[in-house]
Amino acid sequence: MGQRVAITGVGVVDERTPDVATWLADESEARRLSRICQLTVAAGRRALADAGLDAHGGLAVMVGTEFGDMVSTISFVDGYLGRGPGGLSALLFPHTVMNTMAATTAIAVSAKGLSLTLSALTVAGELAIARAASAIRAGRVGACLAGGADEPAPLVMSALREAGAAPELRAAGAGFVVLETFDGARERGARILGEIAGAAWRAVPARPHRIGSTASSRAIAAALTEAGASAAEVGRVYTSANGDGPREEWERALVDAALAPHRLTHRSLSVPAGRHSGLAAHSVATAASEGRDKLALVHAVARGGNQVAILVRGPDGSDS
Amino acid sequence: MKPVAITGLGVVSPFGAGVKAFWEGLSSGVCAIRPITLIDTEGFRCRIAAEVPGPIAGSARRSRADRLALAAAREALDDAGVDRGDREDAAVIVGAVGGGMLEAEAWHWRRMRGSTEPVPRPLASSFPSAHADVIGGTLGLTGPRETVVTACSSGAASLAMGADLVGDGVVPVALAGGVDALTRICFMGFNALRLLDAAPCRPFDRDRRGMSIGEGAAFVVLEDPARARARGARVYAELVGYGMTGDAFHVTSPHPEGEGMARAMRIALQGAGVAAASVGYANAHGTATPQNDRIEARAMRDVFGEGGLLVSSTKSMIGHTMAAAGTLEAVATVLALGSELVPPTAQLETPDPEIPFDCVPRVAREATVEFAISNSFGFGGQNVTLLFKRAA
Amino acid sequence: MEPKEVFDELKTILVSRLKFDPRRAVDLTLETALPKGVEDSIGLDSLDFIELSIAIEERFGIAMDESADLAPHFASFDTLSRYIASRTTRA
Repeated sequence: MGQRVAITGVGVVDERTPDVATWLADESEARRLSRICQLTVAAGRRALADAGLDAHGGLAVMVGTEFGDMVSTISFVDGYLGRGPGGLSALLFPHTVMNTMAATTAIAVSAKGLSLTLSALTVAGELAIARAASAIRAGRVGACLAGGADEPAPLVMSALREAGAAPELRAAGAGFVVLETFDGARERGARILGEIAGAAWRAVPARPHRIGSTASSRAIAAALTEAGASAAEVGRVYTSANGDGPREEWERALVDAALAPHRLTHRSLSVPAGRHSGLAAHSVATAASEGRDKLALVHAVARGGNQVAILVRGPDGSDS
Repeated sequence: MKPVAITGLGVVSPFGAGVKAFWEGLSSGVCAIRPITLIDTEGFRCRIAAEVPGPIAGSARRSRADRLALAAAREALDDAGVDRGDREDAAVIVGAVGGGMLEAEAWHWRRMRGSTEPVPRPLASSFPSAHADVIGGTLGLTGPRETVVTACSSGAASLAMGADLVGDGVVPVALAGGVDALTRICFMGFNALRLLDAAPCRPFDRDRRGMSIGEGAAFVVLEDPARARARGARVYAELVGYGMTGDAFHVTSPHPEGEGMARAMRIALQGAGVAAASVGYANAHGTATPQNDRIEARAMRDVFGEGGLLVSSTKSMIGHTMAAAGTLEAVATVLALGSELVPPTAQLETPDPEIPFDCVPRVAREATVEFAISNSFGFGGQNVTLLFKRAA
Repeated sequence: MEPKEVFDELKTILVSRLKFDPRRAVDLTLETALPKGVEDSIGLDSLDFIELSIAIEERFGIAMDESADLAPHFASFDTLSRYIASRTTRA
């Protein structure tokens, strides 16, 4: 039902990406963009270049993030703590709101459609892609840059450690996929990487910020229903490892229960490099390229229960 | 767009807890902007804000913002009479910016001054995503769960996103809203940007000098109109259209001709198949900065024509409540439709002659309006217009 | 303070607060224009000017009069240096 959702481009950058600066338009962008915004703008431009798509009036932007630009936020308050009101930076202030990555990317690529930032623990990147896919399927959006960005702030990481949180595998990075209606992609002769066959997001019952006690969930089944597929048709699973052992165990149980009796190996692209909300795009694109005759499930779940399931089909299966 | 019914309202505002206190304050044209008590304001030019009068109900272990959110969410769900079964499938969409930063800031301040107190737990409560988890986890809402951050339009974006889920048939019911508690970052940042008036703000006034900040929370329950009628729910109004656009212009300044703003209003009208001439009232973004009011008025003139509708700014009374603004002002708009009373623009002594609209100075105006819009325009050019229709 | 001294301080502010590359700061002269849209200017926009004002107030201990039209003073390093120098020599 509704429009089919094509994946036509991907762009992922992190600290290991050489020459991120070459993706910035001029010295003014380099000067005014914080590090996380530079990564997001670079990833956005890379994805659009990969898709061969010039940003046009209607391009939407959806960015998921766990922590936003915490580095700038902390720097902003420390300016005041160090020097009083005279130490406040007007240039840093806009970066203290989490929509700064989406806003600066929309400006950089001239995207004038709707732009959303979704803040969520763990699942933010997957959530942005799932919502973008839904908007395209419903015909509300024609094309969307969807993905995420994160930059771990040292203060947040040390606070996590101090609070006794499980050692977390984190990295700085940003990533987008370009999603379009199938018809729109074909019309402009785009190379199609694959298709999002179904996407759903729900909450698994859990106390706030805790792991739930149930292995029963609904997002995967809802995504399968949207794709018109059964659990038997899933051939690969990509999960959201971030070094939080108990959460990863819970994720394993949730996925296995939803796909039972089929049991698949779960693979996380965030290990060992470190997780950031841009990796959702990497997982979706990888799922599309590795998919053959089976669907791939890209899954994420957070403490507190937020759960996202995306079903990806490769290009061979989608070109009919 | 498929219209969605609004069947429940919940508010904690600078007028106090509850929808009743909110409407009483708004309809009386009272200004709730006062000297700040929550944080130290020494050394800053502007030292006032619209704070929620304390104490805030809820556990002291929870952040102020979480308590505001939970109280407003509870009121909305109870008001709509959402039963347990529907709660399991209900979506929660929260517009948020500051999260629990008020408490996190205080901890950081103390740490920088030598305190060795441990990290506040849970750390996750510092982030805007916490409210949705607290609301969902505490009230048993296990449908789709999202936190949207689009700066000053977050609380309006959340309603649009909730309407999508209901309209697409993904959920029977969506709880959508926005929340923001006062934070030092917000207070200091807007002071640094020189965007604040040292006196209570004066939207649309010729002599306006800037914004006032505020805090609060509001939630609405959205559901399919037929379903609402079938279960005998009270329908306050319908959300019949929305427009979400980006200026793609500048991180803090709006497009000088209000291009993105006008487009958001037009898309909302087109989506609902409603003519501009049918709209009787606009609840403006109306921050009282010289720039916003001028540009927003220009955009409204482009869409509705001069003097085409009544305009007022709720921010004149409750300040700019950040992520809560879009929802608090949507609730004000919905109540205006139902009460046939348009809330005024407080502090409006000398209407700006360049603004070609009746901005309802100081006293609420009786008016029977069928369609009304609420505008919210966020930093970075994130524009949202919501279009409401009076309940039949 | 003399305008030349002020100019040197402004270059420091450009690097420390406006995040200009130090190598770029070396090439600047008193004639260099400030606002975006002017040929060969350093391209400052409205937000940059607010940052600059905050930094000037902090560094030179003067208050920028917001009610006045400051645009002519912000046209170039020369005009700005003279404006600041004149405000700092006042008793």
